[in-house]
Amino acid sequence: MDIEKRIEDMMRPGHLACPGCGLAIAMRLVLRALGEKTIAIIIPSCSSMIASTYPNSALKVPTFHGTFETAAPTAAGISYALKIKGKNEISVVAFAGDGGTFDIGLQSLSGTADRNEHFIYVCLDNEAYMNTGIQASSATPQYAWTITTPSGRHGRKKKLMEIIAAHRVPYAATASVGYPQDLMDKVQKARSIEGTKFIHILTPCAIGWRMEESLSVKAAMLAVETRLFPLYEVFDGKKYAVTYDPQGLPVKEYLQIQGRYRHLSVEQIQEIQKEVDEEWDTLLKRVTDLPPPLLTHS
Amino acid sequence: MIKDSQFAIPISYGSTEVIDTGKWGFQKPHPQFLTAPCQEACPAGNSIPQFLYLAQKGEYGKALLTILKENPFPGICGRVCFHPCEASCNRGEYDESVSINALERYIFDTTIDQEPNLNPVQNGNGKRVAVVGAGPAGLSCAYFLRLLGHKVTVFEAYREAGGIMAYGIPEYRLPKDIVKKEIARIMALGIDIKTSSKVGRDITFDALNEYDAAFLSMGAGISSSLGIEGETFEKVMHGLDFLMRVNSGSSIPEGKDVIVIGGGNTAMDVARSSLRNGCRVTIAYRRGRPEMPAIKDEIDDAEEEGVQFEFLIQPVRINMLPDERLAVTFRRMKLGEPDASGRSRAIPVEGTDFIMETDYLFTAAGENVDLVSLPKDLTKNGLIYVDTFLRTKNAKMFAGGDVIDQPRTIVTAIGAGKKAAISIDLYLKGVSPENMFSGIRVGDKGSLSFEAYTSGGKFEMFRAAQKVVTLDKLNTLYFEHSERVKKRKLNRETALQNFQEVNLGLLAEEAIASASRCFTCGTCNYCYNCYFFCPEGVILLDPIKGTKYVDYDHCKGCGTCAKSCPRSVVVMKEL
Amino acid sequence: MCKVLPEKCGCDEGAVMKEFMTGNHAIAHAVKLCRTPLIAAYPITPQTPIYEKLSEWEASGVLKGIMMRTESEHSAMASCIAASLTGVRTFTATSSQGLALMHEMLHFASGCRTPVVMANVNRLLAGPWGFWADQTDSLSQRDTGWIQIYAENGQEALDSVIQAYKIAEEVYLPAMVVIEAFFVSHFMETIDLPDQGTVDRFLPPLDLPHRFDMDKPGFLVPVVTQELYREYKHRAFLSMDSVKEIAVKVDREYREEFGRGYGIIEPFMFDDAEVVLVTAGSITSTARVAIKSLREDGYKVGLLKIRLFRPFPYEAVRGALLGKKKAGVIDRNISIGSGGIFCQELKSALYNSDTRPLIYGYIAGLDGTDVSPETLESIVVDALNKDIPDKVPVWLRGN
Repeated sequence: MDIEKRIEDMMRPGHLACPGCGLAIAMRLVLRALGEKTIAIIIPSCSSMIASTYPNSALKVPTFHGTFETAAPTAAGISYALKIKGKNEISVVAFAGDGGTFDIGLQSLSGTADRNEHFIYVCLDNEAYMNTGIQASSATPQYAWTITTPSGRHGRKKKLMEIIAAHRVPYAATASVGYPQDLMDKVQKARSIEGTKFIHILTPCAIGWRMEESLSVKAAMLAVETRLFPLYEVFDGKKYAVTYDPQGLPVKEYLQIQGRYRHLSVEQIQEIQKEVDEEWDTLLKRVTDLPPPLLTHS
Repeated sequence: MIKDSQFAIPISYGSTEVIDTGKWGFQKPHPQFLTAPCQEACPAGNSIPQFLYLAQKGEYGKALLTILKENPFPGICGRVCFHPCEASCNRGEYDESVSINALERYIFDTTIDQEPNLNPVQNGNGKRVAVVGAGPAGLSCAYFLRLLGHKVTVFEAYREAGGIMAYGIPEYRLPKDIVKKEIARIMALGIDIKTSSKVGRDITFDALNEYDAAFLSMGAGISSSLGIEGETFEKVMHGLDFLMRVNSGSSIPEGKDVIVIGGGNTAMDVARSSLRNGCRVTIAYRRGRPEMPAIKDEIDDAEEEGVQFEFLIQPVRINMLPDERLAVTFRRMKLGEPDASGRSRAIPVEGTDFIMETDYLFTAAGENVDLVSLPKDLTKNGLIYVDTFLRTKNAKMFAGGDVIDQPRTIVTAIGAGKKAAISIDLYLKGVSPENMFSGIRVGDKGSLSFEAYTSGGKFEMFRAAQKVVTLDKLNTLYFEHSERVKKRKLNRETALQNFQEVNLGLLAEEAIASASRCFTCGTCNYCYNCYFFCPEGVILLDPIKGTKYVDYDHCKGCGTCAKSCPRSVVVMKEL
Repeated sequence: MCKVLPEKCGCDEGAVMKEFMTGNHAIAHAVKLCRTPLIAAYPITPQTPIYEKLSEWEASGVLKGIMMRTESEHSAMASCIAASLTGVRTFTATSSQGLALMHEMLHFASGCRTPVVMANVNRLLAGPWGFWADQTDSLSQRDTGWIQIYAENGQEALDSVIQAYKIAEEVYLPAMVVIEAFFVSHFMETIDLPDQGTVDRFLPPLDLPHRFDMDKPGFLVPVVTQELYREYKHRAFLSMDSVKEIAVKVDREYREEFGRGYGIIEPFMFDDAEVVLVTAGSITSTARVAIKSLREDGYKVGLLKIRLFRPFPYEAVRGALLGKKKAGVIDRNISIGSGGIFCQELKSALYNSDTRPLIYGYIAGLDGTDVSPETLESIVVDALNKDIPDKVPVWLRGN
């Protein structure tokens, strides 16, 4: 039994995630990429259930359970304190769900991003408040079923990456649990950059998305391959780089494996496809090099 | 009671591993191995996904050893095999099939200076076995018998071993030094060979009965005649004889008009060899292009090099002209109902005769077995008759290769040699072959695994019913589309100047790229998907030891690993 | 360092520093003297001069540390808690709306047993809106498990901040030092600035315990069982209870080092008082003047200053008021649906006591107006004249 191989993993089995949880995969991968010189912040969300209750912890690194809307300033406080104590080799990572990032935590995240405080913020996005039982958040996509939006959500998913890019943080990236190497590379890149780093990970929830429990990874891959959730990075809010070239499968393939979209009409699917195509075009336009600056008269 | 928390806040130091989340689900993942369609399609049962996995990592020495476990002629097959593996490659349905053939060649070429350690069984029961014919079937049988520990004596009619490999296929397709090297590797195992020893001429057939067993693989070396008038003219030559002259350095016509009758590989070899001597060549075949039995690559190459094709014509008469040229009368044919081989019959159309003039006419319209020295009771319909275990009516005697009723390709002959070696070994042990054979088959198309045989049929790979993985069972989301590397060849002018090898093979980076395209269907290639995608982190892999471990105490049975395995290696079952 | 004014002592140890400054700046100086390396704050009138002064020092390097200019008070407190757990001394300051916004985090700071020190400038809570002194903001946080010290003037505020760090770091509970808007925060007085060396001796630049131990990784403050929660809260309760003694001890040590001490309560002109005024904060200063004047007029009146509000010094208060006939509590605050909060606390402290005075409740200065000596005199007269206190507190208009 190669127990030694487990040591590379900074997360232990026996945690309380639902079977097939996409969020648990993301946490495992992020912690793996960061290594043991890390302090993790957990807030109320599925990740706090995964981290488990007293006296056991699923994380092998020191962890602190903060309040719901303060993942970012908590991480910033710890990061500054470490700097004051001269412990510069320890990195600080804050895990927050989509609720704690898009909604209640948006203000504090915006504040820390504005001050460019030094830590990594990981948003584990399962597109609703899943820990409390599948209630809609502003990360829930349009038309998706949740218990509080039983006929489909009216609003569209908040464009969080654009909000973060507007803060001109040194590094922001999207990642998906379907592409573990890409995710881990981004986390390691983030670790090496000074300032606020933001990683938005799509972590499908089999229960909340109404899928079979073994399909989380497939959903995460299809989201990327259909261009609905492109994998890209933004540096300093202006330089965009796409890190994976998707196949461009029709978005229907992604929608049809999820029960939360079972009620979609043909028109709605077309609308979603159209929006995906437009967003992809917009992203590609940003990726081309900026035109040379106009010469100004001195 | 609150445990030691001097600062009065709760701190969890324990590990969640004390929680038996394994009880949450009944199903657990198990590794399974499935046969890939390429393995099944290969008549020699080559372990294709296994050697491609090693090639992906650049471990060419180990890849060579893997091939040599099932096929002693990688260098030759990598050049002239008709690669049925590529036709059944799952990737072929996805985008383009993997360049298995070119990779087999590359593995040989890149390890050409290595002396692989083949580990023959040292203390075999040491029976004596005779092998008649040092062609692909005979040498293959000798090789496997030697690996099983028997003492082998090979009788070869010609001066050199190799059969069709040495005497049939021209240098530009198969350089002779490659053949020599491969044969030397086999001989180095300690096989006794008597060249220029033809059974029926130099030794009697009965002498074979003095051995504990014998394998008859003298091949089909007699060209079929056309059965038409004028066939005996000097300038009408049998294709095989022509090729023998080519390969032994004797002279062949230069700068002449040549017509070749036939549509198989022999016809292509004859045509292209003539081209290289400055001849103008036309191939005449009685059916259409789709019905030609030659390997498609050969037909395309022949056409590219400048061979002319005339389809749906058949010669009916040959006349000599005053200037010693030949006037060949052809009749047009039409396609009719399929015959026994499944191809449309060629039906002559009356009143369509016409004449083509030529200097030479070469016939390559089929080969027959030389039955003269064989006992009548062993033969049927011009071939040696064998059962599914390659046993003849004579309990001691086995046969394979072109002498029996099987497709006439080198790799089929190799497969027959291997099958016969196993059959002979079982016979010599006094064991009936039925159970063993069913336990070591690779898929359902007749090939066997020698590795499975030598591990007593317990080789893990074959424990599952030898199910073949089809494309629908693979998770193709994990595979990016890519194209095959295009074959590099000498250009036409350079190629036709002499007999140097036309195909240039893969470059090093092309080899890695091509090998990486292999899905390794049904075989774990340690891609680590299951490891990365497990939400619990209960899967461990060790590619060096080749182990896979699942922590059943904590596996919740979600099945993500099974769904994430691109190549169908994980299956969820109750413990 | 000579604690006596050099002109009186004649030694050459060096003079005690005296400067003329506001209460806010006095607090800022205290924070600097304590070498607090991490400060997180958000501006709100009337706390802003504390924030500004500290920002100025941080920018110029005078204050060695990091100033987090957070985007809300809630985040400021979150950052302080986190940094404190990581082992550094922290500080924040706020007022009224900001303090209310922090409410969730105040409970959390106490529950996480972090010795954060905060200065709160009492300002009325909206609605309607206003900016003036009112103690309701800090008093309505009395259940959050924070130590609360009410300072009468700028000097006391400075001294109390230094003392607060010492107390908090002994019991691992957060502490707030409370001053009133404008009356103390913006009022200029002569402040004795302690010298850095003495402060360092009194309050070493302590390395707080490493709650995040990289060699023994643990999960801090997870979900616990019900029984365990009760245990932790009880432990916090006992720790808070011990602050009564610890605050007395620290105050005594402070007096020995720096020459100034305040006690946790202060009885003034008590001995034969028939009526005792109970005050906290700047009204105490006015009351001292009023009491003297009333005494001259023949009234037997005394004053009880409450300095330590949490933990509530039950024993000390009971002991002080033993045998007193009447007590009039001045509340610059109101708990709607009940009454003045100091009044409630006092009643609850004295309920089980053998001899307890009648307690008269007065709401004065709630609107941030000055509570004049005349107002206090009228309160004393009112208490003396009524045999039984009214059922509801008496609301007094401002001047």
